[in-house]
Amino acid sequence: MEERIKGVIAAVLELKPAQIHEGTDFKVLWNWDSLKHINLVLALEDEFQVQFTDEEISRMVTYADVKQIVTHVAASG
Amino acid sequence: MRDLKFAEIVRRNRELAAQLPSERVAVTVLGNIMLPQLKDVLEYGLRTAGINADVRMGAYDNIVQESAGLVDSRFVVIFWELCNVIDGGQYRMARMSDGERNALEARLVAEIDLVMRNTAAAPLVLWNRFSAAVFSSADIEENPLERLRARLNQHLDETAARNVKLVDIDKVLARVSVAASVDMRYFYSSKALYSTTFCKEYVLYVLPVLRAALGKGKKALIFDCDNTLWKGIVGEDGSDGIEMSPATVAGGIFQEVQSLALSLSERGVLLGLCSKNNSKDVEDILKTHPDMLIRNERFVAKRVNWDDKAKNLRQIAEELNIGLDSIVFVDDSPFEVNYIKSTLPEVTVVQVPERLHEYPGVMREVATLFYSLSRTDEDYRKSDLYKIEQARTRAREKFADATEFLRSLGLKVRVHVNEPQLIARISQMTQKTNQFNLTTKRYTEGDISVFLKGNTSHVFALDAADRFGEYGITGLCIACANTAGTARIDTFLMSCRIIGRDIEFAFMDFVVKYLTSQGIRSIEAEYIPTSKNALVADMYDRLGFRLLSDEGDGKRYALDLLEYKPHSIDHVEVAGGRAD
Repeated sequence: MEERIKGVIAAVLELKPAQIHEGTDFKVLWNWDSLKHINLVLALEDEFQVQFTDEEISRMVTYADVKQIVTHVAASG
Repeated sequence: MRDLKFAEIVRRNRELAAQLPSERVAVTVLGNIMLPQLKDVLEYGLRTAGINADVRMGAYDNIVQESAGLVDSRFVVIFWELCNVIDGGQYRMARMSDGERNALEARLVAEIDLVMRNTAAAPLVLWNRFSAAVFSSADIEENPLERLRARLNQHLDETAARNVKLVDIDKVLARVSVAASVDMRYFYSSKALYSTTFCKEYVLYVLPVLRAALGKGKKALIFDCDNTLWKGIVGEDGSDGIEMSPATVAGGIFQEVQSLALSLSERGVLLGLCSKNNSKDVEDILKTHPDMLIRNERFVAKRVNWDDKAKNLRQIAEELNIGLDSIVFVDDSPFEVNYIKSTLPEVTVVQVPERLHEYPGVMREVATLFYSLSRTDEDYRKSDLYKIEQARTRAREKFADATEFLRSLGLKVRVHVNEPQLIARISQMTQKTNQFNLTTKRYTEGDISVFLKGNTSHVFALDAADRFGEYGITGLCIACANTAGTARIDTFLMSCRIIGRDIEFAFMDFVVKYLTSQGIRSIEAEYIPTSKNALVADMYDRLGFRLLSDEGDGKRYALDLLEYKPHSIDHVEVAGGRAD
């Protein structure tokens, strides 16, 4: 699952999966904006066929948070 | 595209951008809602069609302002949603007084007119018709939003400029369903109304229009016969045993498919056959079977034999003088379908669905591959024109000498100068002509209108006929005057129907004489090589132009009009053209 999450982030944020790690903060990326944020969340929802709450969406701005939220939501089905 | 997840589309879009030829097609999307997925989905859709598009999203809710600042956009797409023309538009319309509603409508009409004027120079504008479906689909009575939509759409119908193509997004919503088209969480939090599914379906819906504008529409529809045009196998069931009439369920379905194909033929699509059969069996059906809707004359190319189908399709392409990539081939046999897909990858192959009731629906989708922006008289007569050409080819065989044959034709050409009535045909020629085309610039009707409006460009359209019949408007030259007595030939092309008759020499004689009379002393021209126009690599040399440079990306020429020696081809009679 972690690889799939990294794959989606890499595609949308134009990164290599190897560049994504626990400390990665999307907000400092050169190409980060609210549009990229929406696209990242849409991509993750599409990939895992889940829907996130508004609160979860607003927190999904670092890799650590994305991993935690996606794993949690995908597991609860 | 429908089956791809969004991240995969983003990834593949990026890969395709690097793989395709680097020449970019600029697209601008103007919207009064957020459309976060549209850039990647639209680019991906265009790139899978071989078009390296760069999509720029205009600033949110700035349709009017952005329309004034469009520079060099080949295509403009307009998403104008009623729910956001005022904040909370989807419910606040019901709260408004009549006076307030009228004022809102007047404001929107003025904005539409302004955007229409501002975008007049864009070759093609895809303008979505106003829609109320998302917020009205449960309403049994018409609501104010729907009334506003109806009046604004009427205004669009009445005032749409030549370069505007109105897009019926209600059809896209119908295909997807309203529920699957929107994501209300993102609408309320970020004004992003549409789902990724909707964006994909929208792109698939408009793609044929964009492909046509870039000269990538298909030209020929080639059918297998057994279980493709009729139910059954004529060689086994006999002419009485096959079904293609509504007397049976299956027969009715095949008749519907034949009717769809016939309608395409009436719009200018070339129909052909490629079938493994005894040619007499098929011939009998085409000529005499009472249930055969498409008559023999409608098929302009037939290969009914026991040969390899790839060889047959190659011959058909050669006979019709089109590329393999202009052909759509329909067959029921998985073996033939896979064989052609692997040996002739440029051909679009369609397999007759196993569930027969799906076949007409599949053919309706296939029909969009032939979409053409301009409807002209030439389209309707296309099959006739090919038949006349075949008669000429047979006559040619009777002459040992090519020049004698050409003299026997009695060729007459007439050049129309700056004729607005020919805009549709002129635009169509730029989109469809590949071989005898010196610069391969694709123009929409909007583009041609712009050439005609200016008084510094001259548009020459050549009309040709011989003793067998007419060729139609088959040649085009666009010359743009620079300053001080010089001009540049932007476009010089001829339909393959009139190649090989020296008409190009007579045409250039006319153009030079006309430009001289306009005070032009010298002209520049260029040859831009493509994979299809090697035929004309030395055309300007043969016309008497001086070669200035020959680099990888093309050849540049110049001609001093006083030094031009008219070719005066004696087997081509030139009738005076209409002057400005």
